[in-house]
Amino acid sequence: MTDNGLKFSGANRYVLDDELASIVNISMALEMPLLLKGEPGTGKTMLAHAIAESLHMPLIVLNVKSSMKLVHALYQYDTLTRLNDSRFGDSRRDVSNIEEYITMGKIGQAFMAERRTVLLIDEIDKADTDFQDDMLDVLDQMTFDIMEIDKTVQARHRPVIIITSNAKKDLSDPFLGRCNFHHIAFPDPKMMRKIISVHFPGLEENLLEGAVTAFYGLRELDAVEKKPATRELINWIRALKADPDFTPKKLQKGDVPYLGILFKKSGDYQQALNFTSRRKLF
Amino acid sequence: MFIDFFYLLRRSGIPASPTAFLTLHKALAGGLILSLNDFYTASRAILVKSERYFDIFDQVFAHHFKGTDLTDTEDFDLDEAAQLLLEQWLKNPLELARSFGEDESTLNRLSADELIEYFKERLKEQKGTHHGGGKWIGTSGTSPVGHSGYHPGGMRVGGTSRSRSAIKVAMDRRYKDYSLEGPLTQAMIGEALKRLRNLVPSGPKDQVNMDETLYQTMKNAGEIEIVFEQSLRDRLKVILAIDNGGWSMDSYIPVVQTLFNYARAQFKELSTYFFHNSIYDNVWSDPTRYQKPQRVADFSRFDSETRFIVVGDASMAPYELMTADGSIHLEERSGKPSIEQLRFLAETFPRSVWLNPVPERMWGYTRTITMIAGIFPMFELSIDGLEKAVAHLSAK
Repeated sequence: MTDNGLKFSGANRYVLDDELASIVNISMALEMPLLLKGEPGTGKTMLAHAIAESLHMPLIVLNVKSSMKLVHALYQYDTLTRLNDSRFGDSRRDVSNIEEYITMGKIGQAFMAERRTVLLIDEIDKADTDFQDDMLDVLDQMTFDIMEIDKTVQARHRPVIIITSNAKKDLSDPFLGRCNFHHIAFPDPKMMRKIISVHFPGLEENLLEGAVTAFYGLRELDAVEKKPATRELINWIRALKADPDFTPKKLQKGDVPYLGILFKKSGDYQQALNFTSRRKLF
Repeated sequence: MFIDFFYLLRRSGIPASPTAFLTLHKALAGGLILSLNDFYTASRAILVKSERYFDIFDQVFAHHFKGTDLTDTEDFDLDEAAQLLLEQWLKNPLELARSFGEDESTLNRLSADELIEYFKERLKEQKGTHHGGGKWIGTSGTSPVGHSGYHPGGMRVGGTSRSRSAIKVAMDRRYKDYSLEGPLTQAMIGEALKRLRNLVPSGPKDQVNMDETLYQTMKNAGEIEIVFEQSLRDRLKVILAIDNGGWSMDSYIPVVQTLFNYARAQFKELSTYFFHNSIYDNVWSDPTRYQKPQRVADFSRFDSETRFIVVGDASMAPYELMTADGSIHLEERSGKPSIEQLRFLAETFPRSVWLNPVPERMWGYTRTITMIAGIFPMFELSIDGLEKAVAHLSAK
């Protein structure tokens, strides 16, 4: 590890709890990928951004898609351009040199980078199990082969690897064996207030209080398919702030405007609406 | 170091691997862990790979480093016994209090829940210190209930207001919600059913088939000929048959609804049918089982590649399954016993499963469940069962 002593301790827009900070630091010191699970909106992806920002490392994001093959994340051999060049010969590339038609994928870029990078592998659960296992091999060895030119790419610096997963289901055992694991629980109201004040410095105390209370009240609703998360709350507060007619007193009275920002499924919206209008009567 | 802790974790059912344990030691040797708090976070991040085990981990951690009680498998018995004691207590408080060596008024102050906890505690003590004496109770007669250790609210140790120690954090059991016995959510079902995908080409031809392009270009004497093909899409056909009748299925409605909701969103070609108890001559496309009947015999014309999934508790009187006029609905009695219809369906659709919301350990107690399990491969309607079912359905 080239830059020992680097310690992650939070970033501008990210509120970090101590537990997570020490897990990140241990994973970095052990040079193991960190697998993060948790509800959507608990800041899994944001963590990678925050690490990159605070350690001043470039961030490389690999958004996993279901149809993805591992090789796409490593490198791509642009056969079509080569075919075109060989036919028309109007480019300055050397057609007989295959290497000129190899472009690096996200993992390849992280390996080839001049400095240590943060590699975020987002939503790994979307890909199939083979992808996951093969990828962990690559990340473990820090090398991969480019088959077309029989060349081995060796990572110059071992990137800081953050992997996120939304799935409630466990990933495969070999995969889990090679990374550290943390589950980010949904922030409690105290934490949430901190997060909000980071995003809205100088927010009125009673607006903050009212919004957070109402938010957690609405999260308690039964049978809601998609519970509102941090992202929704932040957008909601933004909307409340923008509305000149809105006063925090309204929230206390049970009048909750802009429910549509919090609840995005029509069934959920209806339910929340019933709940709040019922409360207004009392 | 910490070998006992490691084995205790494994004994408690956490699949911690030796490699992970060595990694933990690497962290210890590297001077990364300086306090018990660090050790708690580090050992959990390294050894425990799923939030489902966080709760057990917390308990084991608290037990190992603080000596709190582990909830053991005998808890069920204890629950029963404590319940009995409570009943006895209600009948004759004075006598029971005396047998515990407690003043009646001390116990009187406890709520019902607390009483149960108290009884359980004492019963446990009794188990531990039984040798030697015929005494029913332990030695300490005055310890009040409330510090029970595995009760989430039980850790109200007075006085300390320092920052939360790892043990206190562990004793909080924050991850109780994520334990294995959690309810089946749509996300879990989705995750399990995802593997059923059966990809076939469909849609616009917008992907370059490289091999074919090269071949055609060569054939064309080097004049480039690009060949496009369709991308792969999921075209799986699924029939879902749901038992929605009668009282016996009522308690499982939420979980079946979740399954149904997900299936509807996921599969393009999904037909849902409803039946009551078992399948006779007809199944219905409408949940009221009245307007749109579908003759079971007509299923033979369906694609046999279709996955046939039955959801039902398979619990009924044996004659409903076995006799020719078994249906409790008169108009359905056509002469073929239901079990024949089920066999017919299982033969028509070789890839079929029966998902049963009844816990697997109870299956042996119901005759019809065992009989139907002989026809359809039966799986429990839980995360694990669903995964097994999907594995069965997608097997070649």
